Amino acid sequence: MTDLQIHESYQRLLKNENLSTPLAAILALTEMMKQSNAGTMFELLNELKGAAETLSKNSSNPIGLNAGCELFIEFITLFPHDAASFSELKTELIRQGQQYAEEALAYRTKIAELAFDFIKDDSILTHSYSRVVLQTLLMAHKRKRISVFVTEARPRGMGIKTAEMLTTAGIPCTVVLDSAVAYAIEKVDFVLMGSEAVVESGGLVNAVGSNQIAIIAKAANKPFYALAESYKFHRMFPLSQYDLPSHNPGVLSFPQALSARARPASSGLSSESSSGFSSNSSPIKISQEDIARNNPDVDYTRPDLISLVFSDVGSLTPEGVSQYLVGMFAG
Amino acid sequence: MRMPSLSAKPKNERKDERDRNNNEPRKLHRNNNSRVREYPALQDHPLPNRRAAASTSKDAPTNIRDGAGGPDGSSDSPKSRGLRIFSHFGLPKTPGHQIKGDIHPAIVKLGLQFSEFKICGANARCIATLTAFKTVIQDYVTPPHNTLSRHLMTHLSPQITHLVTARPMSVTMGNAIRQLKLEISGSDIDLPEQDAKDALCHKIDEYIRDRIIIADEVIEDLAVKKIKDGDVVLTYARSSLVEKILLRAHSLDKRFSVIVIDSRPLLEGKTLLHSLASTVPPLPCTYALLPALPSLIIDADIVLLGAHSLHANGSVYSRAGTAMVAMLAKEHSVPVMLCCETYKFSDTVMLDGFGKNELAPTKFSPEVPKSNSNLEALNPLYDSTPASCITAVVTEVGLIPPTSISSIPLALGRTTL
Repeated sequence: MTDLQIHESYQRLLKNENLSTPLAAILALTEMMKQSNAGTMFELLNELKGAAETLSKNSSNPIGLNAGCELFIEFITLFPHDAASFSELKTELIRQGQQYAEEALAYRTKIAELAFDFIKDDSILTHSYSRVVLQTLLMAHKRKRISVFVTEARPRGMGIKTAEMLTTAGIPCTVVLDSAVAYAIEKVDFVLMGSEAVVESGGLVNAVGSNQIAIIAKAANKPFYALAESYKFHRMFPLSQYDLPSHNPGVLSFPQALSARARPASSGLSSESSSGFSSNSSPIKISQEDIARNNPDVDYTRPDLISLVFSDVGSLTPEGVSQYLVGMFAG
Repeated sequence: MRMPSLSAKPKNERKDERDRNNNEPRKLHRNNNSRVREYPALQDHPLPNRRAAASTSKDAPTNIRDGAGGPDGSSDSPKSRGLRIFSHFGLPKTPGHQIKGDIHPAIVKLGLQFSEFKICGANARCIATLTAFKTVIQDYVTPPHNTLSRHLMTHLSPQITHLVTARPMSVTMGNAIRQLKLEISGSDIDLPEQDAKDALCHKIDEYIRDRIIIADEVIEDLAVKKIKDGDVVLTYARSSLVEKILLRAHSLDKRFSVIVIDSRPLLEGKTLLHSLASTVPPLPCTYALLPALPSLIIDADIVLLGAHSLHANGSVYSRAGTAMVAMLAKEHSVPVMLCCETYKFSDTVMLDGFGKNELAPTKFSPEVPKSNSNLEALNPLYDSTPASCITAVVTEVGLIPPTSISSIPLALGRTTL
């Protein structure tokens, strides 16, 4: 399977609303295995690793994708190889991959039931759009009286989508400006957050703004709960915000200053241009797309800001996440 | 000066005397001169003497007057009574201590090297100990009517004790010796003696290779990924592992600079500085002592530290000064990476640097002016860094948060560390 094909199948799978990026990656790799001509385990693993790299390179935010790929490759490596022939083994592995993806769709319900015990008649703050949080809130609404504050989550505005869906279901809901979270935090009982990935340190990688909300919740002494399916657990360990694989050094750069200083130099003036306002500059306009392009998509929340991580394997403290990961991957 | 005739006093008054001894500071404040002479002054009487004075009050007059000389009544000028705090570690040993029992010459040599600090550092000491034990095992002859698996351990015990008297055992040595004892007790009785000895030496070589040498290489691979071009790496004193990591990153053509923080009395950072600056092309280094740290930490992007041992509650036992570096880095949001092999893990819990520590021998202390023998130099060699100050621990099983070391045996497929 060529690079282009695997990329296409991945994009096609992503269109399915129910599939998150790690699951789509696992299914894309399964499809690749179906079409693979590998004759030995070693070849197969090499092909899978190459495919995972291709997918990762073509994505601006590869964290969830990486988590899914690594989980699948680890699973294949540890799978007992006592099948009669290699093609039988391959068929079995493909079946396992597809079965896993089907079971994984039920994980969200499991997590919703687990988190349900922590919800009383509360006001909940959530961020942006997360399917697992939505399912939890819809389930809680059936038996409890909850009200929800959703942040707008600029620049993509996914929070508005969440608010619309919740209001349609009859849950009292309102959209909060990203900058008004500190203002609203006192009205909230706890914070519920989805995740793109949960990392080895016990920290959370999620849409940009999550770290901010976590810091505010900590300062206001409100619990901060993260909801994550187990396939989102990743063995990465970021030391800081800028240590994420999605980190683009061009983010938050200063484009205007560079171009302003370049102009006097190119016009050959010998004197130092003290004022950057040369006569040939028109008033600069900054568009929303420029802002969106120049800002990060995800950020990293430290484990000491998170109270609990709810997952299909149970409710874990951030310290417990690493124990689970080490047991899963290093054993 | 009024001398109390304690022997003549009734019993309850003698008890009051003792009580007043204990409340001495209050008395001193109220009545200056006479009281100071009347009750044994703190600086004249070492602890055992004061107890002696209180309990044997019948002999009190002579004791109180020249109590400074010690229980044997010798009338020296007040001599140093040793350190009050940290005295539970025992005083630093002077070299040339006696050899008790039948100690192998390799162990004698090693003990001397330990006490002279010629071999310094957790890894170096462990490797040297195991290598010396290989010699001991090869020279060992099982006495008749005994089996190797049972007798060798009793043969090794006095050797180990000798090393411990030279310098307190490090956690690394302890773990290695425990593993060695396990191997010895598991060795096959039916094997001919030379084969059994060779098998043990082979196991020792494997231990050194797997858990130190190869583990170091894996840790280097993991740690160099966290050093990016343009980073400023800060490190403290000299960890053999951190040195290897920095040299490897440099050989991979990464462009970074290093700040080496050092402290007296051992000044181990100088050796690290020398080895880093001798690379081709030279690695840009800055060298400073610990008091300069607050100004330099602002420039650091990442802190790399080594450890002597890592404890079950996540606290790190390392060279004195490490805790300060870690705490200051945390205050300035600089990530702290601790590089530590898994064989350095200990089951014990360490809450502070006082329960377990070691004092540097007097040759490392600054010169104390003779006239003031009340001044003692205190040089603890180790301190304890709390787990909250460490961002990540790099081990051969990957990067883990410091609170998760209990999951490591599971990861390695063992039941114990």
